[in-house]
Amino acid sequence: MLFELSEQAKAEIRALMARYPQPRSALGMALYVAQREAGWLPPEVMDEVAGLFALEPTEVRAFASFYDMLHDDGEPGQYQIKICTNVPCRLRGSARLVNALEARLQVKLGQTTPDGRFTLGPSECLGSCATAPMFMCTEKATGKIRYFEGLETPEKVEEALALIESGQAFTTTERWPLGPGRHAGHPDTNQLLANVDKPDSHKIETYLAGGGYRLARGTILGDVEGVAWRSPQQVIDEVKAANLRGRGGAGFPAGVKWGFLPAGVYPRYLVVNADESEPGTFKDRMIMEYDPHQLIEGIILAAYAIGTERAFIYVRGEYYFAAERLNDAIAEARACGFLGDKMFGSGNKLDIVVHRGAGAYECGEETALLSSLEGNRGQPRLKPPFPAVAGLYARPTIVNNVETISNVPHILRHGADWYKGWGSAASPGFRIYCLSGQVKYPGLYELPHGTTLRDLIYNYGGGPNEAAGELKAVIPGGLSFQMVDASQLDVCLDNESLQKAGTGLGSAGVIVIGQNQSMVEIAQRTLAFFHEESCGKCTPCREGTGWLEKILARVEAGEGRTEDIALMLYIADMIGGKSFCPFSYAAIWGLQSNLAKFRPEFDAAIAAAKGKPVLPVRPIYRPDTGAPTGMTTPSLPAEEKYNEPSRRR
Amino acid sequence: MADTVSLTIDDKQISVPGGTLVVDAARSAGIQIPVFCSHPKLDPVGVCRMCMVEYVTPRGSRVDVSCTVPVTDGMVVRTDTPAVKAAREAVLGFLLINHPLDCPICDKGGECPLQDQTLQYGPGASKFVEEKNHKAKHYPLSELVILDQERCVLCWRCVRYMGEWEDKPQLGLHKRGDRTFIDVFPGQPLDGKTSGSVIDICPVGALTDRTARFDYRPWELKKTASICTLCPVGCNLRLDERMHELRRIVARENPAVNEDWICDKGRFVRDYVDHPERLKTPLLRENGALRPATWDEALQRVVERLGAVIEAHGAKSAGAVAAAHVSNEAAFLCQKFFRVLLGNNNVDFPSGAAVRAIPTGLPAIDALKQSDLIVLVGLDLSESAPVLDLMIKRAVKRNNARLLILNPRRIESARYPGAYLPVRPGSAAIALNGLAAWLLAKRAADARQRGSIKPAAQTSGPGAQAEWAWLQAFTPDHVEAGSGVTAATLAAAGELLAGSQRALFLYGPDAGAGARGAATVSALNNLAGLLGRAECVAYIPSEANSQGARDMGLLPNALPGHGSLADAGLRERLGKLWGVQPPAEPGFVYEQMINGAVRALFVMGVNPALDPAAAQALRRLDFLVVQDLFLTETAQLAEVVLPSASFAEADGTYTNLERRVQRAPKGIRAQGESRADWEILAALGQYWQTAQGNQAEGSETAAQAEWKRKRKAKPARAWRQAAPAKPWSYSNLAAVSEEIGRVVPFYSGFRWEALGPGGLQWSAGAAPRSARRVEPAQVAPAPAAPAGSFWLASGPILWDGGTITAHSHPQVLKLIPPPFVALNPADLASSKLSEGSEVSVTSPRGSVRLLLRADASTQPGTAWLPLGLAGAPAEMLGAARGEPVAVKIG
Repeated sequence: MLFELSEQAKAEIRALMARYPQPRSALGMALYVAQREAGWLPPEVMDEVAGLFALEPTEVRAFASFYDMLHDDGEPGQYQIKICTNVPCRLRGSARLVNALEARLQVKLGQTTPDGRFTLGPSECLGSCATAPMFMCTEKATGKIRYFEGLETPEKVEEALALIESGQAFTTTERWPLGPGRHAGHPDTNQLLANVDKPDSHKIETYLAGGGYRLARGTILGDVEGVAWRSPQQVIDEVKAANLRGRGGAGFPAGVKWGFLPAGVYPRYLVVNADESEPGTFKDRMIMEYDPHQLIEGIILAAYAIGTERAFIYVRGEYYFAAERLNDAIAEARACGFLGDKMFGSGNKLDIVVHRGAGAYECGEETALLSSLEGNRGQPRLKPPFPAVAGLYARPTIVNNVETISNVPHILRHGADWYKGWGSAASPGFRIYCLSGQVKYPGLYELPHGTTLRDLIYNYGGGPNEAAGELKAVIPGGLSFQMVDASQLDVCLDNESLQKAGTGLGSAGVIVIGQNQSMVEIAQRTLAFFHEESCGKCTPCREGTGWLEKILARVEAGEGRTEDIALMLYIADMIGGKSFCPFSYAAIWGLQSNLAKFRPEFDAAIAAAKGKPVLPVRPIYRPDTGAPTGMTTPSLPAEEKYNEPSRRR
Repeated sequence: MADTVSLTIDDKQISVPGGTLVVDAARSAGIQIPVFCSHPKLDPVGVCRMCMVEYVTPRGSRVDVSCTVPVTDGMVVRTDTPAVKAAREAVLGFLLINHPLDCPICDKGGECPLQDQTLQYGPGASKFVEEKNHKAKHYPLSELVILDQERCVLCWRCVRYMGEWEDKPQLGLHKRGDRTFIDVFPGQPLDGKTSGSVIDICPVGALTDRTARFDYRPWELKKTASICTLCPVGCNLRLDERMHELRRIVARENPAVNEDWICDKGRFVRDYVDHPERLKTPLLRENGALRPATWDEALQRVVERLGAVIEAHGAKSAGAVAAAHVSNEAAFLCQKFFRVLLGNNNVDFPSGAAVRAIPTGLPAIDALKQSDLIVLVGLDLSESAPVLDLMIKRAVKRNNARLLILNPRRIESARYPGAYLPVRPGSAAIALNGLAAWLLAKRAADARQRGSIKPAAQTSGPGAQAEWAWLQAFTPDHVEAGSGVTAATLAAAGELLAGSQRALFLYGPDAGAGARGAATVSALNNLAGLLGRAECVAYIPSEANSQGARDMGLLPNALPGHGSLADAGLRERLGKLWGVQPPAEPGFVYEQMINGAVRALFVMGVNPALDPAAAQALRRLDFLVVQDLFLTETAQLAEVVLPSASFAEADGTYTNLERRVQRAPKGIRAQGESRADWEILAALGQYWQTAQGNQAEGSETAAQAEWKRKRKAKPARAWRQAAPAKPWSYSNLAAVSEEIGRVVPFYSGFRWEALGPGGLQWSAGAAPRSARRVEPAQVAPAPAAPAGSFWLASGPILWDGGTITAHSHPQVLKLIPPPFVALNPADLASSKLSEGSEVSVTSPRGSVRLLLRADASTQPGTAWLPLGLAGAPAEMLGAARGEPVAVKIG
């Protein structure tokens, strides 16, 4: 035994296990603890954790190896810097940031400085699209994570690095520089983000001073400060009447979803999907970091409506600060008696558990999220049964996005009619649009549904920035969705209008792409993301995304072939809808629309191809070159002889 | 769900039970849908996307998978549309882009679903020009299974098998996306006892058999449907032969017996069949040494020497000990030879008369899956019958069955919900009596609570209260003192019993041996009777054909068909069939025969000489003949050694633990001149009759022997029976089977052809069963071990060091532990002995040197010594004879 967990760590892990109905759920969080102690997760540490959970060690390693933030194949440096290089950040100069950091630290991406201080690496979208370029830094010794944002200039990069090097960077984990990023909204619909600029906006005092929790208390207890009591069914009916549509991406009406719960089956669970990982989306983070009590009040009301005593907030692992803020806020609310055994002194109970993910885009899909929350690899599950019937621990479960839940108090406070006063009949209300990419003022804009794209980009976003030149394309719903071109700017930002325009509103991550961008590069980076994040469960997505990325990389590198475009369209066609989960569409819509709208750019890249691809004449399978990089060594000595002479008569 | 649902697949109207998956419905209609991840014995996952079909609905059609979709009424499915073809082609294309396409050097080539489906549905040409992803190749997962991660199509079958059936999720998917690979944990190889099943279900060449790699191309093999003869489950398997060598063994489906699985022993222990050390000719002792001889010489010598011994010392001076892994035919002829031709009942096998068996064995393997409480007394099925263990795991996982385990060692199955009773060796009966007393007391209390006026015992079933009076002594205190089971554990186990509806009681040879074993079986019968489950007590033997050997009457105290020796009517019936009545006087038991009770001994397939004391006795015999595969320690002492053919080289039928008679046909040419056991006995009987002059004159060359002509002149000898036996003539196996059918009525329908590929069960109602009444099960308490010594606890181990496993593939040999003894870590610490050192273990019967191990499953105060280790140290010290043995370790 090279390493043994301390008693304190073991106690911490046991406490984590006790937070869940089934201890295995704590596996990911326990591995964070183990990783903090051991620096990484060598086999003996995973073995020990497996012992604590009474699991086969293989199950622990299979879990750990799935998630980006759990290091089962090597120890990172003391400070692990991961630069977001996804499309929104790329549009705002993440490549420059990479260059600057590589030059400053004298290492390439994926390497660790010789003194073991820094490890530099790329990352997929970290939910800071408006304050790009940025990086995330993890302090190995404490497991703390902090975001360093708005690193546009070499001076700012230097300043951030100096802070880290000083050892003082982790006294707080609030984003650097401090404070919420840019946001604005229509004066009447600036509801969800109304409070984030207040000093100590995350504190319960601030929230209470603004009338917080009155609604929840009144709804449950009845007639408190003018708020009338409502039965759970009345709450559901109100949300149904408001036609509150899910903000995670699919836009399914929340009230309808709540109605799917089978009657009389308890316990049931509420799971808040805070795995905000769709590139171009960063709204949930703002709510959790700067107005967590709003979310908690929403959870209280939703939990009351659906009749659960336990809610989980599945926060993506990178949102360390959000998880901390939520934990603090839950402690505050609990101390005030708003949560726990006797909420507001009523007979109702509610516990909220903040669960941190560990870095996997797929966990945003609700069934994959539930798998992950149960302590398994974040891979989607068969539907039916739908989560409302058999979700978490095979119990009835409602999964809603953070923004969706945060809307609930506002709908109840003002009524469904008020809510329906904005937006269209099919997409009522307002929403937080995440504007990113090449605009002058990227940020969060809380506006009614149906605001036009032009209004958002030019009126609120200030139009394309200087580097962009003219606007070329916009992805309106997060990187998963089809792009629109400059001729479609008058489309209304709601589900139906965008659908008619051949795309969707998704998570309202609006990414603006300027004239100076290569659409081949955008396509390549998009597929690189989906290849990286494919969970590997089903064949078409697992194999197809990687294949597409390889072709695009080749085209970009000047080795394209004329048949490549038809081939890519074929592959895309064979992934979309033929895979296990909706990811299949997410992976290819961007490419398909890109090829449809910007085909000449691809043709030109192929026409300008200098070389032909070097075709592997035959697969290289012998001589054995050993395990590829990133693979662990075989657990048993490899067989030396392929064909041992067998004993013959 | 049981309702029938009608749907249309490719214009074919079909009806299937509700809940059937579309892919299975299509298969039942003869429409093949290609699959990789879907497997009839595994839960659907829908990951490979190969089984795409088109669902036609009024609102249009939709292409989707068929392996996770249950049928619905009126569903219209098409499997032949252009969209379906395109989807299949695409999935195959995706699967192949990163596949190494190394079919020419792949073991699976020729029987590979990926290959076959590519040919049938594939695109024909590759569109892929990029560099393939590279992963680990020829990567060992264990000593027996090897993985090629590049060939893997990530169908999850192996991962699901290890989770759903083996319940040891030792295989996992690692990383994600197209970097995903299958792996075990570093340093922890696959050690599930049925891990080789993953090779069978792998739809590509990713998982291959390390003991058979590159030894065959599938199309060259001659395949024979057979069964396994290494344990009493009788798993169905297939023998794959090429160039007269057994190249591999794979599982064969039989839903009633082994589903689709076989254990690693059955699969990988194979090389003994082709082993160069196999006996190839008969051997005769001449001038103190064994020399090769002809069959004629050898059989002549046997007949001559047996005759001489009997002449000198009487009919009872010869006997036979056999292994219970010989075929029914061999067992039958063996007992008949001694009963009819020699005129004694001296036939037995090692766990024969010594164990009190239930004649009907297990009600059915299927009964395991149905029961809600399985009581395991002195059984460790994960070691002795892993496929049966799989069925128990299935019952636990799918039916929430509980396990009640009585064993001196905390066996692996104790990890499941239920109760583990750490009984001291030899004290199971005390604990079982304690449980019966606990149940009666609880019923009395319940009755009092309900205000019932009836006396408690009356409410508890048949029998008067007086019948149970003897149980009053078994108070929790008495039980704890006598067996080591605490009152709390006893009560927990009692609650389990009281709450069960369909309990099943299983016990093994160790639990049923000797006088204590007889009491244990009585106690079990009582307990089962109390719960109204008297029919559900079953004996689980350890040898493959133990059930068959009993059915055939290979016992000194029972006739074929479990008939009593005292049954004059039966003896008379047999006398009419055989010409000679079997004697009524019981014969010697196994222990007696190998320890000098007879002057001449016929040994078939057992190796008693491993025990020095028995070897000493065998040396003193007037005549010893050994029939075996190898020149065992016993064979080395013999005067005549007869080479027998293994199960793979000879036809034979075997009866498994649920009374299923199955056939094991000859799948490979026999080694040298070796012959089937039954053939040897058939010939021997003819030689004997010829020698005795019962045969018509001159039909055998043997009749010309010098000694016999002399003898013919002499008057009839006293031991010779008045009426001659009927002619002993068995020209083929059918002749033996036909006679078995006439002698044992419940075998009458079991002709070779009638048995079919899946075998036939004889009805449990056909055999006599002890009358259902309370049997006082009195047994002396097993006290705590005397100071400074430990009670010897023994039990089976899968990778034993017996003759057969010792002659297996080098990879298998690596799994056989060196002979060891294990102590509880606490005992080890207090004894000041160090783990890994060599110690001597001494019992009243002798002393052996063994490696010392620490083992938390071994209970304090006991020393764990597996049975069947190389040199049989446990047996030598006196284990498994039914009496507790105290050993000193130092």
